[in-house]
Amino acid sequence: MSRDNVLTVEHLTKSFRLHSEKTNSLKALIAGKKRNRYEDFLALDDVTFDVHEGEVFGVIGHNGSGKSTLLKCMAGILQPTKGSVQVTKRMSALLELGAGFHPELSGRDNVFLNAAILGMGRREIAGRFDEIVEFSGLESFIDSPVKTYSSGMYVRLAFAVAINVDPQLLIIDEILAVGDVTFQQKCAEKFVDFRNEGRTIVLVTHAMASVKDMCDRAIWLTHGVVTGEGDPAELVEAYTETMLGGRDRGDGMSVRRGSGEIQIERVEMFVGDSEVPVKRFRTSESIRLRLHYSARKSVPKPVFGFRIEHLGGTALTSPCTRDVGLLPDSISGDGYVEVTMNDVPMLPGTYDLHTFITDFNRQHEYDNVQVALRFDVMTGKPYETGGMITLRPQWQIRS
Amino acid sequence: MAHRNLLYLLSLKELRTRYKKSVLGWAWSLFNPLSQMLIFTVIFIYVFKASAPIGDPSGVKNFPLYFLAGVLPFNFFSLSVGVSIAGVQGGAGLIKKVQFPHEHLVFSVVIAQFITLLIEMSLLTVAMAVIGHNILPWLPMLIGVLVLLGIFSAGIALVLGAANVFYHDVNYLWGILSQLLFYATPIIYNPANITLRPLVLIANYGPTGSFITAIHNIVYDSRLPGPGRMLELVVFAFGSFAIGSWIFNRLSPRFAEEM
Repeated sequence: MSRDNVLTVEHLTKSFRLHSEKTNSLKALIAGKKRNRYEDFLALDDVTFDVHEGEVFGVIGHNGSGKSTLLKCMAGILQPTKGSVQVTKRMSALLELGAGFHPELSGRDNVFLNAAILGMGRREIAGRFDEIVEFSGLESFIDSPVKTYSSGMYVRLAFAVAINVDPQLLIIDEILAVGDVTFQQKCAEKFVDFRNEGRTIVLVTHAMASVKDMCDRAIWLTHGVVTGEGDPAELVEAYTETMLGGRDRGDGMSVRRGSGEIQIERVEMFVGDSEVPVKRFRTSESIRLRLHYSARKSVPKPVFGFRIEHLGGTALTSPCTRDVGLLPDSISGDGYVEVTMNDVPMLPGTYDLHTFITDFNRQHEYDNVQVALRFDVMTGKPYETGGMITLRPQWQIRS
Repeated sequence: MAHRNLLYLLSLKELRTRYKKSVLGWAWSLFNPLSQMLIFTVIFIYVFKASAPIGDPSGVKNFPLYFLAGVLPFNFFSLSVGVSIAGVQGGAGLIKKVQFPHEHLVFSVVIAQFITLLIEMSLLTVAMAVIGHNILPWLPMLIGVLVLLGIFSAGIALVLGAANVFYHDVNYLWGILSQLLFYATPIIYNPANITLRPLVLIANYGPTGSFITAIHNIVYDSRLPGPGRMLELVVFAFGSFAIGSWIFNRLSPRFAEEM
């Protein structure tokens, strides 16, 4: 595939001066001596890659890996210390939605202003105005000042403007998850349209699922250095391994949040009627989960739940006790919640189980454990080659 | 051309949002110079018992109008720079997130202030007519001088707006500096009455003094400023703008990092 490069990043290096205290005053300048109290921090170190026309390119990395700095350099907001960034097509960088929205102005005025900031001419905006408003779904509010908008409406309008700037190269900073489900669906469709029209997208994110689903190629940044480049699925796998590396598989329980009146102490998994805890089972086996809890004081109407995610980050299921109306008036002391699931249709792979305990309204979180249990599903029956679950299809070919 | 549109819309935003949420709205832009006029008239005429300058050759003798003819353009200059400094700082959210020509943050302020100035000056023209002093024949010349003043102000606003990103002291410094300039400019006094040589020079040939003297010549004295004066104004205007643009363009790539 020798297509034209739309974006070329060559030996890009960006360093920041870290002052012990920011010296934005003349006194510090005149006092002089203290000025030397800084360190150079290398946010990007000799980063080189290129993005071809029409591909979806992912940039992954943990927090502080230099993703945002790279993004800002690509968008022309920050100047490289060394090296260069070359963009050959009309670019739109979505770093923040609604940057420059003015609360006192109407939605209409803000659309024009925001589109102008993103580089559109007046006639061009006027031509696309209806499309933008329709996409945002805010027809009846467009002449109200945006300070009266809900945050969801605000973001929808901003996104509608940004996506309609008609860029040949779109750089996006993990903002795919905006608005409600319907709007997200619309955005996803718009991205697919973009891709099908042969436009180029650079996606900077740590949502691994979207990288795997959408990207053709990706790079992986660690402390400002490119540590991997190529197939997104492999990179995501390697990245996830590294992120969780050094941790004893399955004995996670390390990332916990919530108010803590009641907590999940550990999670056990059993296959069939066995009483021996396991961390693996086969497709279509029946399993039982035992969530051991410990309540420091009496907790009224707690809701227990869990979420199973594929290693890539895609959620498979997230049931809770409220779904089935299992609502004890209060719980105190120690005990466990047992969940039985028959003929589990999960396909081979590695999965994470996250647990949560909330109040009845699911507003207040008592406890939330990320990766309470990591387990493997092994090949069983039926055997399938793709996806994460089987719907036990019955095939027939008729002629 | 797309960015010309941005400049237009930013200026419009400046004008539209300035007096939002205030009952009297645009009237505020008039109250400020009018209250200043009232204060200085009382001090000048009744406390210091001074007499108003006499327009040559117009023969006009009216301190409030002399004061307004000076203070309106001066306030335009002072506000253009002050609001620009705040405007660049206030644009941090944009500068850090979007690539766009940063100088438009300054130009939009100056343009919006200029439109306000034009409105105020037309009201002054009406006030002049009421006391029987017709300045309509000099209007084209007046507009020319005001445009030069606008270019001059933009240059200063560019330098200080950019410098303030790095050292916020500039903002406070400007508060003091603009006050000093106010008194160094013949607005509340007649430069002919000063005898101290350096003060005379500053009042007559300092940048703001030059502009205000030229404007006084046109609207108060009813005569054209001499060619020497006009040359001076052109040099001030384009010199300030050239230096301002150069400094601003040098510094603006570093804004995002510094903010």
